[in-house]
Amino acid sequence: MRFRDFTAVHKTDLMVNAGEFFSILGPSGCGKTTILKMVAGFLEPTEGTVLIGGTPMTGVGPAQRPTALIFQNLALFPLMTVWENVAFGLEARGMRVAERRRRAGELLDLVALGGHEMKRPGELSGGQKQRVAIARALAVEPSVLLLDEPLSALDLKLRHHMRAELRAIQQRVGITFIYITHDQGEALTMSDRIAVMSQGRIEQIATPEELYGRPSSAFVATFVGANNVLHGRVTSAVNGHLSVDSPLGPLRARKTDGVAAGQETLIFVRPERIRLDPPPTVENRISGKVVRRELEGAYLQLEIATETGQRLLAQVTNADESVARKIGESLSVGFNAVDAQALPPGPLAVER
Amino acid sequence: MRNLLAIYGRTLTAIICLMVLFWVLAMILVPQIAMLHNSLWWTEKSGDAAAVTLRIDALYNDIGVLELDLAAAGDDEKAKITAEIESKRSEIAELESKEVSARRVYGFANYTRMSALHFGIFVKTMFFSALVTVLALIVCYPIAFAAAQVFTGEKAALLMLGLVVPYAINELLRIYAWLMILDYQGVINSALAWMGLVDFSKGTAIPFLQSPGAVFAAMIYAYILFMVFPIYNTLETLDRNQLDAARDLGAATARIHWRVAIPHAKPGIAVGCIMTFMLSAGSYSVPQIMTRGQGGDWFSQLIYRQFFDANNWNIGAAYAFTLLVACLVFIFLVMRMFGVGIREIAR
Ligand SMILES: Nc1ncnc2c1ncn2[C@@H]1O[C@H](COP(=O)(O)OP(=O)(O)OP(=O)(O)O)[C@@H](O)[C@H]1O
Ligand SMILES: [Mg+2]
Repeated sequence: MRFRDFTAVHKTDLMVNAGEFFSILGPSGCGKTTILKMVAGFLEPTEGTVLIGGTPMTGVGPAQRPTALIFQNLALFPLMTVWENVAFGLEARGMRVAERRRRAGELLDLVALGGHEMKRPGELSGGQKQRVAIARALAVEPSVLLLDEPLSALDLKLRHHMRAELRAIQQRVGITFIYITHDQGEALTMSDRIAVMSQGRIEQIATPEELYGRPSSAFVATFVGANNVLHGRVTSAVNGHLSVDSPLGPLRARKTDGVAAGQETLIFVRPERIRLDPPPTVENRISGKVVRRELEGAYLQLEIATETGQRLLAQVTNADESVARKIGESLSVGFNAVDAQALPPGPLAVER
Repeated sequence: MRNLLAIYGRTLTAIICLMVLFWVLAMILVPQIAMLHNSLWWTEKSGDAAAVTLRIDALYNDIGVLELDLAAAGDDEKAKITAEIESKRSEIAELESKEVSARRVYGFANYTRMSALHFGIFVKTMFFSALVTVLALIVCYPIAFAAAQVFTGEKAALLMLGLVVPYAINELLRIYAWLMILDYQGVINSALAWMGLVDFSKGTAIPFLQSPGAVFAAMIYAYILFMVFPIYNTLETLDRNQLDAARDLGAATARIHWRVAIPHAKPGIAVGCIMTFMLSAGSYSVPQIMTRGQGGDWFSQLIYRQFFDANNWNIGAAYAFTLLVACLVFIFLVMRMFGVGIREIAR
């Protein structure tokens, strides 16, 4: 999809299964909304086609598509009552008032908003508005529900609550949800599958487990969850293991496609896979000093500076007294080769 | 009040209060009360009184003539003429002392005495002003919508500029321009003649100016901005996503406007209608110029004539006050009709 000579979304081949909760995850401005608008029919792709249920949608307007869009800002009609909002799609289809009202009541019950029919959107709380928007979209019985960062306006607690709620609603109605977010937590907790986007391209499509455990690019590895990044050069690849020469000394990592002997590589290790005072079975060991510590209650976050100046982030469970470390204390850390993901060098997700 | 004191201190508060007071007095109360007062009395003149006035005028005339004679006359005649002038002067003095005692009478007669003809003009003016308002609304809503929602950035700015530019020209000039366009031998008829559709020599040219349409066209043109801008301002604040959401839910264009855009624009529409109506109802220059002062009267022309031609300020004031009340009633009706409060209007 191009706007004049700016390509917002590059060539994309994306297949969403029916009944799936599919998320598109990416930083702000990467083209998520653009993809959604192409599916909803507000934008015609400059090239290529959108198919819904195997039917090409070229030339079909948003009103005729079997989709319903929930806008980033919800876009409820502020001058209509809640039930009129929900029934608007039915009104547009020429349904009778009594019938509309009944149906709106049912939908409001579905989203646990029974009894609020006569209020206006302005009199509702953030989470309630959210649910009105969902009910309004479900009223037209779409086969695909498109959600554009619908939770971004809510506060943290409500957001966590609505995640569960959305997932539950999706399972109850059984239709396809395409959910857009820049919040990886949302994507990981709710989705069946996730597509990670960056600068108009899809980087990876995978289940949450796979995405987190086996990111396929440097961008995904750093965008989804935190990761330590170690630079190095592959010296050999044998038995599913890579030997890597790095400024921190020789390291061993899990073998991945696209990384061969002689190549530059980036090694990614999750903070929670870094171990303090590793037993001898741990393949990679590094020594350093604690420069920062943050107690998050159940977890302890440590930032460790190695002799080369490389910073490592470690997250350990606050299981017993032994994990306590003081700032400036020297320590030895390590990680297993299976926990180290080697990937070809590429752009990293910048800190948001 | 306490807030004011806290924020601005004593001196500034006093000044602000004085200015508000001045505003209310000078701009609102004094002129209206003066007008109302004027409309509530008239000078009682019996048949005699009118004759007396006539007689005084005649005497003054005579004196003028005699004074001319005096300058031209010989010595022997001078004394006689001077005596005559003196006698006329004393008669005037006597008559005038009677005339001054003509009585001021208070009552509602200025209102109730409106002739059927004048009342007809009043009703017609109200009706046509309402019609102008409706026509202007029909013309302006699409323009305002296009400028606020359809076009973006530069194009919208150009459209608005195109609307504003004519207003840099003096109002009278603009109306005269319409006169020239619609005149019997004006731009449109000339163009039609050039295309061979009408022929001046056979008298088939269209007399636009004789139809009420001419006044309508010029009025809509003259007051269009007062309708466009309030509507534009409200439509601008309408979230585009609401229009898209309505469309996504399957609503046709008409329904999107009827259910989403127009309800949102209601305060703007109300303000636009009120302004256009008041301006049209009170318009003097447009009907005066477009009909060259000959066509069916507009009520404001009638008021003008009461003041300056018939020299009857009391009736004029009563008529002007009637117009004001009619406009207030209109405002009230519009507010009821659109269900908007005074707060929203004031925005
Ligand atoms: N109508 C348009 N004309 C020109 N450029 C556009 C238009 N719409 C979007 N873009 C550009 O396309 C890119 C992607 O926009 P998009 O709205 O899809 O981002 P997004 O991923 O939804 O971001 P966010 O998370 O902030 O909502 C942006 O760089 C944006 O500037
Ligand atoms: Mg977006």
